[in-house]
Amino acid sequence: MKLSKIFFLLFIILNFFSICHAEKNDQLTIKISKNLRCLTCQGQSIYDSQSDFAVSMKILINKKIEQGLSEKEIYELLKDKYGEWIVYDTNFNRNTFILWGLPVLLFFLGGAIILRKLVFRKV
Amino acid sequence: MLANHIGHYSLVIGLLTSILIFLLSLKSYKSQIIDKRIFSISFLQLFFVLISFLSLVICFVISDFSNETVFNNSHTNKPIFYKISGTWGNHEGSLLLWLLVLTLFLFLFLINSKNELKRYRILTVVFQQVIIIGFFLFVLITSNPFNYLFPIPMEGLGLNPILQDPALAIHPPILYVGYVGSSLIFSATLAAVIENYISKNWAKNIKIWILISWIFLTIGIMVGSIWAYYELGWGGFWFWDPVENVSLMPWICLTALLHCILVLEKRELLKSWTIILSIATFTLSMCGTFLVRSGILNSVHTFANDPSRGIFILCFLFFLIIIALIIFFIFNKDKQKDYKKIYFFSKEVSILVNNWFLMYFLSVVLIGTLYPIFLEVLIDHKISVGPPFYNKLIVPFLIFFLIFMSLGPNLKWIKETNIKNKFQLFIFFFISLIISFIIYKKIGKTNLINTVLIAASFYLFIVTIKDFFSKELYNISKKLSHFGFSMLILSILLNGILSTEAIINLKVGEKFTFKNEQIFFKSLENNQKENYQSVVGYFKVEDDKKNISLFKPELRIYDQPVVITSEADIKTTFFRDRFLVMNTIKGNEYFNVRYQVKPFMIWIWISTLLLAIGGFLSLYNRLYEK
Repeated sequence: MKLSKIFFLLFIILNFFSICHAEKNDQLTIKISKNLRCLTCQGQSIYDSQSDFAVSMKILINKKIEQGLSEKEIYELLKDKYGEWIVYDTNFNRNTFILWGLPVLLFFLGGAIILRKLVFRKV
Repeated sequence: MLANHIGHYSLVIGLLTSILIFLLSLKSYKSQIIDKRIFSISFLQLFFVLISFLSLVICFVISDFSNETVFNNSHTNKPIFYKISGTWGNHEGSLLLWLLVLTLFLFLFLINSKNELKRYRILTVVFQQVIIIGFFLFVLITSNPFNYLFPIPMEGLGLNPILQDPALAIHPPILYVGYVGSSLIFSATLAAVIENYISKNWAKNIKIWILISWIFLTIGIMVGSIWAYYELGWGGFWFWDPVENVSLMPWICLTALLHCILVLEKRELLKSWTIILSIATFTLSMCGTFLVRSGILNSVHTFANDPSRGIFILCFLFFLIIIALIIFFIFNKDKQKDYKKIYFFSKEVSILVNNWFLMYFLSVVLIGTLYPIFLEVLIDHKISVGPPFYNKLIVPFLIFFLIFMSLGPNLKWIKETNIKNKFQLFIFFFISLIISFIIYKKIGKTNLINTVLIAASFYLFIVTIKDFFSKELYNISKKLSHFGFSMLILSILLNGILSTEAIINLKVGEKFTFKNEQIFFKSLENNQKENYQSVVGYFKVEDDKKNISLFKPELRIYDQPVVITSEADIKTTFFRDRFLVMNTIKGNEYFNVRYQVKPFMIWIWISTLLLAIGGFLSLYNRLYEK
């Protein structure tokens, strides 16, 4: 495990000087920061905000990427620290299955009603 | 001082006229003769509310700080334009505006419905007056715009600078006309249910009001998005923010109603569904007011709120919903004993499919907006529902929606339609798939769902263009709106996938390279303006071909209240917007510079405008027909 981490770090360091990678990192930082809520502002993402909190978060995200953490790991890290509130992309879990399920359920229910009405009439 | 008193008393008189009209109309409902006095008193009511509104405007213009609302939201050194727009830039004033539009709409309805059923007209007045009385009480009890302050303060607290903007000055009134229009649809529907008047004729007349609301809602939402695009300073125009959602929901519902009413008009089908949609649209508009005003929502746009007001609106809303439901279940006689045949491939079925999908989108937005609130109240667990949620749930369904939308309008009423030119439609689909594949190849990303989505929107785009130039010219409004919608979806998608940006910290004299462009931070300039201090940065952007453009983004430091806003500089061309904004970094000579290239940005606005113009043409036809 440790060996793989070292390899991974080496890999990152080797790539570090190539501009391509830096740009990729930037894009990833943007992508991640768009998906995080700024906790000190009202309803803005970290990407949109210029508050102290948002600025320091952006630096943190950048650091974590450089350390080789994946997007998902960064989300998990921040969730542990600040709670689920911080990520805009909620997972499917015990608390959110209704959120994800209900619209789709309603869609099929609506389809069933329409179909029944039409078929029922045709008979 | 004087204006303040006049405003307050005309508001009270307005409430009295409301009660008077309510009683008079009940009386005329029994006697079945419309009391002529209803007209004159309605006019009087409109007059008094207008006086009240104008006196508030005057209070703002002359900066009368003995008025609490003016004190809280204005300042002497604010430009006159924003003094006036400040009238509805706050809670109290915006409610007064609601009230004004409510009474105006009722008055217009009264004088424009002469050839309709008498009892239906009177009942509409009754229901509308119930709503108006509710709002009068709401304004007078919980949010009186004419509260008196003593001793009179020397200076006001000022208007949130982010609201000092031309787009946001006109955004609320336009949106409110849309919202309030739905109240008239609500009243008229309830009246028609009781009178058993839901018919072809009714559909024809109510469609005018639906169109009016729909046009204003469309434009209102558009203006709001434009404002968010250039003022909030991050280059986005839609964030699936709760307050944005709240304006989108009535729009979706109204769009469904607009299509559904066609079926009612042509075939007298879907009566109950039309009633439900009318009630739902108004409920959603009221819910919007409740959610925004109660402070439950956590959003960029919540500028003024107070929990006690929320409770009032909530109770009032429940009262109206319960009345609506009782009326619906007791009086609705849509048993449809007459047997009407419906074919699968007919226009009515395609409209049903349209409503089905729209209701799904509505439920996604509704659940996404409300679920976090309920979760927090019930189990005290905070979650955020953001753009990824909406994208994941809407995009897959949008594909089918777009395909149905390309096919549906070509089907015929009543008859089973054989789709002609099947081959042609197939070719079109093939072409769009190839186009979308090429686009994705070019930007070097691959994503199956997005490729298909773009293909579907290209398909709709091609088909609507073909329809546009084909044979019958009679339904130009529909064609225009559908074309606008296809273009809207297409430009949003292309804008989304083709946008590029760079974020960098720069100080004066530095430059950086982004793709094939060089951005050079030339200089800074300080200016003192009327009510803010402005810091303008000069940026020179030069591309490969030596095309030079100068960007002048600005930072504004407002005095009252002290707030820093950043104004982006946007260079708009036909094919792309270039967007440059800068921000300060604390304790540092560096500025945070954000440079974005956003293709097809202007087409998003143009296509929304086309959508609205289509609605306007349809409205014009209706009025002209009459």
